[in-house]
Amino acid sequence: MMTTDQLTTTFAALADPTRRAILARLAQGEATVNELAEPFPITLQAVSKHVKVLERAGLIARGRNAQMRPSRLQGTALKQAAEWLGEYREFWDDRFDRLDHHLRDIQRGPRHE
Amino acid sequence: MNEAPTAQEIRITRVFDAPRALVWQAWTDPEHLARWWGPRGRTTPVDSITLEIRPGGTFRVGSVSDEHGDDMVTTGTFREVVEPERLVLEEAAEDSWHDGAVSEVRLIELADGRTEMRFRATIHTTEEMIGIAETGINSGFDRLAEQVAAR
Repeated sequence: MMTTDQLTTTFAALADPTRRAILARLAQGEATVNELAEPFPITLQAVSKHVKVLERAGLIARGRNAQMRPSRLQGTALKQAAEWLGEYREFWDDRFDRLDHHLRDIQRGPRHE
Repeated sequence: MNEAPTAQEIRITRVFDAPRALVWQAWTDPEHLARWWGPRGRTTPVDSITLEIRPGGTFRVGSVSDEHGDDMVTTGTFREVVEPERLVLEEAAEDSWHDGAVSEVRLIELADGRTEMRFRATIHTTEEMIGIAETGINSGFDRLAEQVAAR
């Protein structure tokens, strides 16, 4: 199970249409940033930034080859992200835990740790 | 392939040891919302929050990852506002991974002074996400495939 920050990072990564298109492209097989950039009317730099966000979210991994560094889908993280409904529920459950704590805190009034 | 997005629903019921007016305030006052919207590891600045508590009003909450500073913004519209018992929030698809989500919050006063919250979210998935998931079948992403196929 992903932690909530990982989960938010994953949802945030998936929230961008260009990044989802990059994932869809990588579902066909690995690709370099240059190859990924081809279909998009945006700079190589912008695509590179999107790739970094996806990498940080654990959705893709990049090769070690310093020049090419092809990206590929990362199985486990994507599988977890794919189980989005369960994760989404977890996301709200966790949020409501904090709501519960918040409601207790404000009714208890200020107190010293 | 079916062109219509698929819809899935989650329901969560919680009982809070707080009067209904306070739970309503926690949902509708930015100062309160900032304290619990979270999640852990992210900060929700009060000034990132816009809540126009009226039907058709705007909803916007931003959060920043403490670790790497990535922003995540949730935007939407209040579809229904019935103080202090019912809020229906429609999240915009454009800034999200889903193809729109509608969250309904019902607050019910219990005889002992506590408040029952019934939360229901209906989430629409995009064809694009389904496509990624279907490709994933070969890689063992079978659970998503089952979920999206079940509609």
